[in-house]
Amino acid sequence: MFFIKKLFSPKDEVVTKDQDLIPDTKEKMSAEFRKRLHYSTDILENQVGSSGITIFSISTLIDKTMFHQDIIDPIKNLSFDSIQNVMEHLSVGEIKQANQMEKVIKSALDGDVIIYLAGETSVLLAKIPSRVGRSLTFAENETHVIGPQIAFNESLITNIALIRNYIKDPDLCVEDFVIGSRTNKSGSILYLSGIASEQMVNTLRQRIDAIKIDGILDSSVLLQLIEDKSLSLFPLMLLTERPDRVCDLLLKGKLAVLVDGSSLAIVCPHSFMEFFQAMEDSNVNWQIGTFYRLLRLIALFFSVFLTAIYVACLTFHYEVIPQTLLVTLSESRARVPFPPIIEALLLEFFLELLREAGARLPTKVGQTMGIVGGIVIGTAAVDAGFTSNILIIIIALAALGSFVTPSYFMGNVIRVLRFPLIILAGFWGFYGIMYGFCFLLLHLLRQSSLGSPYLAPFYPPRFADWKDSIIRLPLSFTYKRPDLSRPENENQYDPIKAKEKN
Amino acid sequence: MKVHYQPKPQSLLSSFLLIFIIQANQVGIGIHGFQRVIFMEAKQDGWISVLVAGFATHIVVFVIIKTLQIYGSTDIYGIHHEVYGKWLGKLFNSLYILYCLWIFLLILKNYIEVLQTWVFPTVPVWLFSFSILLLVIYGVTGGIRMIVGVCFFSIALSLWIFVFIVYPLRYTDFGHLLPVMESSLVPILKGAYKMTLTILGFEILYVIYPYMEKKEKLQKYAHIGVAASNFVYLLLMLLAIGYFSPGQLLSTIWPTLTLFKIVKLPFIERIEYFAVTFWLLIILPNLMLYLWAAVRGVKQSFGISQKKTLWVFATLIFVFSLFINTRIKINRFNDIFASLAFYFTFCYPLVLYAFALLKKKINTYKEQMK
Repeated sequence: MFFIKKLFSPKDEVVTKDQDLIPDTKEKMSAEFRKRLHYSTDILENQVGSSGITIFSISTLIDKTMFHQDIIDPIKNLSFDSIQNVMEHLSVGEIKQANQMEKVIKSALDGDVIIYLAGETSVLLAKIPSRVGRSLTFAENETHVIGPQIAFNESLITNIALIRNYIKDPDLCVEDFVIGSRTNKSGSILYLSGIASEQMVNTLRQRIDAIKIDGILDSSVLLQLIEDKSLSLFPLMLLTERPDRVCDLLLKGKLAVLVDGSSLAIVCPHSFMEFFQAMEDSNVNWQIGTFYRLLRLIALFFSVFLTAIYVACLTFHYEVIPQTLLVTLSESRARVPFPPIIEALLLEFFLELLREAGARLPTKVGQTMGIVGGIVIGTAAVDAGFTSNILIIIIALAALGSFVTPSYFMGNVIRVLRFPLIILAGFWGFYGIMYGFCFLLLHLLRQSSLGSPYLAPFYPPRFADWKDSIIRLPLSFTYKRPDLSRPENENQYDPIKAKEKN
Repeated sequence: MKVHYQPKPQSLLSSFLLIFIIQANQVGIGIHGFQRVIFMEAKQDGWISVLVAGFATHIVVFVIIKTLQIYGSTDIYGIHHEVYGKWLGKLFNSLYILYCLWIFLLILKNYIEVLQTWVFPTVPVWLFSFSILLLVIYGVTGGIRMIVGVCFFSIALSLWIFVFIVYPLRYTDFGHLLPVMESSLVPILKGAYKMTLTILGFEILYVIYPYMEKKEKLQKYAHIGVAASNFVYLLLMLLAIGYFSPGQLLSTIWPTLTLFKIVKLPFIERIEYFAVTFWLLIILPNLMLYLWAAVRGVKQSFGISQKKTLWVFATLIFVFSLFINTRIKINRFNDIFASLAFYFTFCYPLVLYAFALLKKKINTYKEQMK
């Protein structure tokens, strides 16, 4: 297929060039425009007064008020001999000239109106897209108590404006790209030139260029396509809805990708540890920030391993349970007819069902209802002799642990990981848990995010970056940008002055 | 085959990681039960044997790095080829590869034995060796950077074990150490000789060397690594002599694990159950490094692709692990290996160094003649 294309491509080009020219009469232009858009009913063709100008557009994509005020009104009583003169009379900000049909159609689909004067070889394209979308709202998926509350919305322009409002720096580069052969979504790569690594920008650009897909509707799909080649369960790049988080990471030398129509920004490279950090950690005192981070790490451990440890202890290693605890445990387990692994899997599955139902229910009330329902049904399950009390506590603890993770995507992974670990624990006890742990360690060591090691700064050890990983030291210590993003300029601010002032 | 081997710059490792590589590879399965074997020879002066063995290790490590420095960036396979010529070099390379596989099998078998004795008496051997081999293969295919990552984490994540030393320390009577130097020189040296199985692992330097950055600093880091594991051995030896009575120590096969038994936390008792399974993480770098070294050796000296040899070796080890299945067989296996390993790791580097120097002298002489 490919070589046939190659053989014929020069010939094709000649043909298209001939056809691609702007027709010289109004009728031909109209026919061509309609034909290329397959005679859709929303094509609009306006003859403007006596000026001899015809305006083509797709009516559903343009702003009607602007169309009348800024385009038709100024020119309707005038007459023109060349298209250049028209331009002077229009009060639209973004006007381009084009002389190829292909481009004309693409712009029409982007919300441009085409101003055509018979006999001219080029047309004017004036951008007056209609604004379909919602206004900016609170961040609802990544809520913070302290810090800006605003979140991205679905408009690319608004999102870039948000970031530009945070970082008023001439070095902030915005690179556009178009993705999807059918959706033709526009998107942008953002980075601070002179800070972000050139090599990484190139890699990211190449990865985006190499994508062959007909349509991308959200940045989360784009993320799956530009991740480092791997079948990993773990998210290798960050998706966030908070502009302040994106800006913070941009200042650390990372790259961000925004896609039109998506309220989530992709940030890369991102390491495993950074998924457990939130913007709020830097907004509070460093002691409190450190406490939060340690809390999340302990929660991670509990969430992944606690149920598995329960299963392992009760199936194989009764000896490790202290005597006092053993009495209560055996009392509450006495009525349960299942082996621990079935008991745990049943309850975990039950909890996952509740969570999923909560997420699918229309309002936030649904979620609260789900959790309350969980507790009620949980108690009933104990009374009915389905599970033991202690397992309910453990499962609740594990569930809470997975919900404190700031990244929703990482939280999902943590919840899914529990199931294989419970099964391993049920078959092989502590050995199974350790086996799962070793596998996870190996797996995480193999991953990379945009070519950077995923387990940084622990391995490869970058001791300078440990100051802002599990713990957070005061700002006077964390003046260095993380080595993960391989920044061109290492220091975020002058360390000596920072020691004096901050 | 060229002597000089320069890996790609992205697979080079920072030189200070050598501390972790050496320590992770030295500390492994031997640490469970070396105290008894040494105590049998040197009695309460066993700790002097540990010191002597540690000192000898420092010397050998020094010589190994000196040997490697003669050629710049190379490994033992390249040196063999250079020193012994094409065919004899291949023979020696094969021997070294066999040595790596043998020690792999030894670690695996000993660990499975501990697992079976302490935690799962009824689980068959093949299940353990099969599962561990799968894990190791997954690791080795990830490349050397990843293997060293496991070395790093295996040490970093097992530091908490040292906290539990406090428990046996309360019942320790260091009066057991007296009288010092009761044993004469020969038993002490014999004890040091018995340390071989426990202390070896530093010879991985021979293979890992070309992958390290800033080779001039390696001497320092290698010695820090060896010193760190010597410290661990000495500590455990002193603890065992102090904690157990002589008769008790002689009849305890795994004194280190027995020390864990008395640890009692409010929420968990019998830590040794956990410790035994946790040891998987500690032996994992050993297994991966040795298998990687063997696979690299085949690639270096015979040019066979790493993936193929990896699977072939793994299958071989799996099959052999099924045959060595009783305590007596494992013991005999250990003993044969220990005597061979002593010559291979402690004596052979000195010989190789002498040969390498000689060869270099001859070469320069030849060039001068021209």
